[in-house]
This record gives sequence, structure tokens and C-alpha cells, in this order.
Amino acid sequence: MVLVLYSWSLYNGLVKANENITGQWAQVQTQYQRRFDLIPNLVNSVKGIMNQEKKVFSDLAEARTRYAGAANTDDKVKAANDVESSLGRLLVIMENYPQLRSSETVLTLMSQLEGTENRISVERSRFNDVVKIYDTRIKGFPANFFSSLYGFKEKAYFESQPGAEKVPGVNF
Amino acid sequence: MSKMLAKFSGAIVLLLIPLFVFAYQKPGTPTGFVNDFAGMLTAEQRQSLETKISNFEKNTSNELSVVTVPNLGGDTIENFAVKLFEDWKIGKNNKDNGVLLLIARDDRQMRIEVGYGLEGALTDAQSFWIIQNVLRPAFQKGDYYGGISVGIDNVISITKGEFQPNTGSTSNSGFNANSIFFLIWVSWIFFVWTGSILARSKSWWGGGIVGVVIAFIIGFGFTLVSGFVSALIFIPLGLWLDYIISRRYTIAKEMGQPLPWWIGGRGGLGSGSGGFGGFGGGRSGGGGSSGSW
Repeated sequence: MVLVLYSWSLYNGLVKANENITGQWAQVQTQYQRRFDLIPNLVNSVKGIMNQEKKVFSDLAEARTRYAGAANTDDKVKAANDVESSLGRLLVIMENYPQLRSSETVLTLMSQLEGTENRISVERSRFNDVVKIYDTRIKGFPANFFSSLYGFKEKAYFESQPGAEKVPGVNF
Repeated sequence: MSKMLAKFSGAIVLLLIPLFVFAYQKPGTPTGFVNDFAGMLTAEQRQSLETKISNFEKNTSNELSVVTVPNLGGDTIENFAVKLFEDWKIGKNNKDNGVLLLIARDDRQMRIEVGYGLEGALTDAQSFWIIQNVLRPAFQKGDYYGGISVGIDNVISITKGEFQPNTGSTSNSGFNANSIFFLIWVSWIFFVWTGSILARSKSWWGGGIVGVVIAFIIGFGFTLVSGFVSALIFIPLGLWLDYIISRRYTIAKEMGQPLPWWIGGRGGLGSGSGGFGGFGGGRSGGGGSSGSW
């Protein structure tokens, strides 16, 4: 009887923890979407001046397309990371164009992009928080028997791709 | 621009190492909407900002908070602001209509952190504008109060129309968590209050009378049948409760024991200090803008 009650409450608890992860992942995706919506505006307002830098724009566009077409979470994360690195490169290149620095539009867009990057980092770290709660519950002692029985699997943290902690070189 | 870029790459670093443990430390508990931990304002200036913000809160239910800290303890201002927002829960529950203006004195940095519910009204670009054109020039001149005051005015005028305060909450919205809590609280008081009177009366029939009164009220307010039914329930219940309570009271009196809480003994229900009632449970997700001076 106690066993039944225990596994019942455990199951419900795990379902809830799992839902929290799904919900938080949706939050992360919302912020990704926001970033993608902002990028074309930035690109359009700097493209005219930076007409020699075709490659970075096409990389960025390609990564966005891949993100939109990605079917599973892993592909999405990978495409999002690619967008991030192309965006970083674009911003470095923008440094070479002093006329962009005085543009009110560019400054505003940069502040929006900056806000979005910050939101992504906040939602991602919250995603990791809920994954941690879930994983800890699954792996704890008596729970680990039942959770494998019910088919609850360990979830992966949001980790950066290897080498990504290198910020693109910026010369001030 | 290069400053922007530096901050931007800072944000990317922040983003790439989400498991890193930052050095956020709680600056303290809020004593009002304005919390001047770094001592950048005089008492009158603080009071005038407090009045302005609390009036705004009464009119719109939006919660603004101004916080100054001596330093960030090596943390980034973005992370510090999010953590502080999480700790204090600025903004109303379910509306998430809080705004935090965080100023780090020694780091010479500031941030406007916007709750989820106000992100649509106070956009990142507007926060950026306020920081660049209002706060920064004033802070550079050392006029902290002037900058904060005008900045707060800007935030107020931008976020004014976003939410309506809850007036007459029970009539239109039905039962929410607050009104249920209030109901429990009222019946709690009623219970303890009648309990202590009945206990002191020592007779056992007083509870029956209370039962009759309750039954009358129900019969009057609803239908006669429900009055009868509740009379059948409440009169014996009242008699029984009174019997128990009176006996317990007599025993406690004779033995010289302290009275139990449910018949009006000295309970531990201390109320907080008046005035500022704490923030309402709002959340933020990293929206807003940062700057330095």
C-alpha cells in the first residue's frame, strides 16, 4: 500500500518536473525566435554600408534557415549556436565601419539585440535549473528503480559547444 | 560602439557558461520601494522617490523599485539584477509588472530590469534610451537624485496604461487566492474569538446558542431548508465544542498552565511593521537594458 502510494506520488512528481522542462524550453525558444526576428532589421540597416562583407550575411541567413527547418532539439541547439557565432562575427566586422557607430538606428537595434541575448541567457540558466531538479529526482535512491520502470530518462543540460567559450577576437 | 560591443561580447560569454556560479549576494531585505544600500541619496530625496513610487503603485499596481548597492561583488550587473528580482519578486503575482532600477555605485553601472508583464510597454530600446539620455548624463555630473527622479518619471509615463489596479476585487473576479485567504483569515479570527468567549463563560450551552445564531443567519441568507439543516449540524457541534473548550479552560486555569492558542492564549501571530507591505511576487526574464557612467 505504501509502495503504491509512493510510486503514485513519484510518478506525478516526475510528470510535473518534466512539464516544467518542456515549458522552460519553450521560453528559451521564444527568445531565440525574438533574436531571429531582430537580425534581419540589423542586417538591413547595415548592409548598405557593409556591402563588401557578403559572406557573413549569407552565413547568418543560412544558419537561420537551418534553425527554422530543424526537427529535433539537438539540431535546433546546433543551428542556434551557429547563428550566435555568425552574429558575433558580424558585430566584430561592424567595428571597422565608424559611420555605423553614430547611427541611432544601429544603436537601438544593438540595444534590442543585447536585451535579447541577456534574456536567452536567463531562460537558458532557468532551463538548466529545472533539468537539475528533474535529474536529481530521477537519480535519487529509491526513485531510480521506479523512474526507469516508468521510462523517465535523464535530460541533458544546455551546454555550449566545445570551443564556443572563445569570444570572437575583438580589437579595441 | 566599442563599449556596446564589449558589453555584447560580455553577454555572449554569460550565455555560453550558464552553469558558472556567480558571486551574487543578497544586498538585504527591502524596506520600501527605494532601497539605498549604497547611501547615494539623502533621507528627504529617498522619501520623495518613495512617495512618488508608492502613489504610482496605488494607481496602477505596477511596482517600481530603485536599489543602489555599493558594488556587484564581481558579478555582472545583468546577473545581479535578475537574481535580485528573483529574490524580491518585484511586481504583482501573475501580472509580473515590476521594474527594477539597479545602480552599482563603485562599479559605475546601472540597469533597468523589466518584469515579463511590462516588457511590451517598456521595451529594451526605451530602457536604453532612458539610461543613455537621462541617467548617464545626470550621474556623470554627480546628480544621482536628479537622474533617478527623471528616470522614474519616464518609466512611470511609459508604463502607466499597462495595468489597472485591483479595486473591488471580490465582486468582479470571483474567488481568487487572495479572497480565499482572506476568508480563512476571517473565520480563523471568528473561531478564536468565539472560542475564547465561550471558554471563559464556563457554561456548556453558550456554544449551542452560537450554533443557533449561525443557523439563523444561514436560513435567512439562503433558504429555510438549509437553515434547518445547518441548525441540525451547528447546534450539537456548538454544544460539543463549548463543552470541550470550557473544560480545557478550567483545567488550564486550575493547573496554572498557559492557555492554548485556540481559546485566546498568547499566540505567536506578530504582525509586520506598517507601511511597505513587500513586493507582490512578480518575475522577470532578463529584459531591459544596462549602461555605465
